[in-house]
Amino acid sequence: MTIDNFIRRLTSLGLAITLFIFIAAYSIIGTVLPQGLQREFYMESYPSMGSIITSLQFDQVYSSWIFRILLFLFIVNLSGCTLKILPGQLKKMNKDHFPKPKPDGDNLHAENMDLQIFRGILEKKKFRIVEDEKGFRASKHRVGNIGSSITHLGIIIIILGSFIGNMLAQEGFFNMLPGDIKGFPEYGFSLRLDDFKLGFRDNGTVDQYYSDVTVLRPEGEEWSDTLWVNNPLKVDRVDFYQTSYGWANSLSILGPEGEEENTLLRNGESYFYQPGHLTVYLYGYFPNMALTSMGEPITMTEQEINPYYAVILYEFGNHVASEILEPGQEYQFKDFTLAFNDSQLYTGITYRRDFGYIFVMLGSLLMTLGLVFSFYFYPKHILVEENSVRTITRQNTWGFEYQVRQLVQQSVEKEE
Amino acid sequence: MDLVYFEELMFTIAFGGYTLSSILFFIFVAMKKERVGKAAIGLAMAGFGIHTLAIVLRVIESGRLPFTNQFEFATSFAWGIVLCYLVLHFAYRFTGVGAFVMPMAFLVMGYASMLPKEIKPLMPALQSSWLYIHVGTAVVSYGSFAVAAGLAAMYLIGERQKASGDGKTVLPKSEVCDYLSYRVIAFGYLMLTLVIVTGAIWAKYAWSRYWAWDPKETWSLITWLIYSVYIHLRFNRGWKGKPAAWFAVIGFISVIFTFIGVNNILPSIHSYR
Repeated sequence: MTIDNFIRRLTSLGLAITLFIFIAAYSIIGTVLPQGLQREFYMESYPSMGSIITSLQFDQVYSSWIFRILLFLFIVNLSGCTLKILPGQLKKMNKDHFPKPKPDGDNLHAENMDLQIFRGILEKKKFRIVEDEKGFRASKHRVGNIGSSITHLGIIIIILGSFIGNMLAQEGFFNMLPGDIKGFPEYGFSLRLDDFKLGFRDNGTVDQYYSDVTVLRPEGEEWSDTLWVNNPLKVDRVDFYQTSYGWANSLSILGPEGEEENTLLRNGESYFYQPGHLTVYLYGYFPNMALTSMGEPITMTEQEINPYYAVILYEFGNHVASEILEPGQEYQFKDFTLAFNDSQLYTGITYRRDFGYIFVMLGSLLMTLGLVFSFYFYPKHILVEENSVRTITRQNTWGFEYQVRQLVQQSVEKEE
Repeated sequence: MDLVYFEELMFTIAFGGYTLSSILFFIFVAMKKERVGKAAIGLAMAGFGIHTLAIVLRVIESGRLPFTNQFEFATSFAWGIVLCYLVLHFAYRFTGVGAFVMPMAFLVMGYASMLPKEIKPLMPALQSSWLYIHVGTAVVSYGSFAVAAGLAAMYLIGERQKASGDGKTVLPKSEVCDYLSYRVIAFGYLMLTLVIVTGAIWAKYAWSRYWAWDPKETWSLITWLIYSVYIHLRFNRGWKGKPAAWFAVIGFISVIFTFIGVNNILPSIHSYR
């Protein structure tokens, strides 16, 4: 295979179609198979396919080398294809360019039509008219010629922008209680949570959740703002997102000699109390507790109307008790006394610094613009000669012919 | 009696209108009587008007556009199908197209009628103006793809009729179905692109990532890729006729899976029930 041949194939439509299909097929696998789990999961869940799944990286489809190769080939193909077609498209944008009509195309000329009236109608429709010895040529929307190249360029920018952006992006997640300060020395500021509150609807369900924060700078400057879902906070180039919330519950354990240990537990967390070889597992805090028909505790709302803690105790790893406790209620186990005194809402905030987003948006804009050019501002040409009206377009042959037929009809009606 | 009662009543009447319209369209295609065709169009328009009223009542009741759960999207989707069909009808006056499009509106309405219709308050992630742009473009896009699939089915049946030598037909010429199907797909494709782009912008605001390979996102991309193949083959390889028609149908199957399949089968942050 010669180099020319290789390049032709690499930039061919055939390869583009093949890549579309492979990328789609590979993506489907990612939606059907659970992603990013331990190798053992796949070996146990799919005994006959487990090794194939992991070796072909079907367990991490979108970050796999196969997917990256497909996207790389796609970029090469799309870039090559665009470079190949762009010179021809630019040539077609020249106002002197006028394509030849298809030999088998319909003649839309009507018997009673007046060419001058028809020309006037076309001028009103913003066609550019050029006269020649046999009649005239009308053209419109030459910019549509480069529509596909603009779309391709947009897609290239999206893929490269997102790839590089994701590589360089910095992100993380943290929880905060009111009063906590989270430092970001690498960005030169800190974030203090002043307050966190839930917004309730009339029926007690959570409508929205809000974090009141203050940005602190080393030089003493500070400013406050509120984050909620769909309203991130931008500090320099870092975005902060309201992501989650929960209850932090204060547990205290009192030993036989009055020694006290205090800690904060979230739902589903446990605390190991060394002196008693005791593990306190907080099954959940239920601010407005009710029991299901199966006896399972649930919370009706997040409002603290009927608060209870569901606690499970293990001694030396063995289950010893399951209790429902009120706030402040003491529970005695052997020489130890434990109590959950109160609960406080904490906020979960995600931060992300991503340079790629601006490129993705630019690419999306170009892609959409290119499609609009391709589909709605596609080049339209009409060749009008004596007893002959012929349309020339690649994009919408029948539709354009239909429109021109109507214009011809209009010119006939005006003549009459 | 409150607004919800009237909304359900209007929904049911619209459903009935679409059902009868579909039946009349079939009769029109079979008997080739123009009056029946006109009645079918009239019923489709009346159904659409009443359906719009049902949606308006829901908007008044909920204080927002009906785009937030499966029922609301299904009823909007059916509305989008009929809207696209009526626009096409008034642009080109091909009555027979209704026989292939209105049954789809009927099926989607049927699906909607089986879903819980209660109005739920918006969860925090959905409290954004992007909801209306993102889902609104999806309604139009999916509606267009449904109409395109109907046109493609009409092409396939028209070709079969041609092969079997059936003489008179009220269906548009195969060539016309083929072209219209392509143009409607082009419009739907542009709208689907906007769905994906606006979804990415919204996701960036709500979840910090503009793309997270969530099944819904991924299936939207897959649908976009399928229609990309169609558009490239059509434009560059002159793909027309049967293969193009089958592709339009396959594309619509992907649309349906993205809507119903992903919501019900695949775990997704987009599964709003």
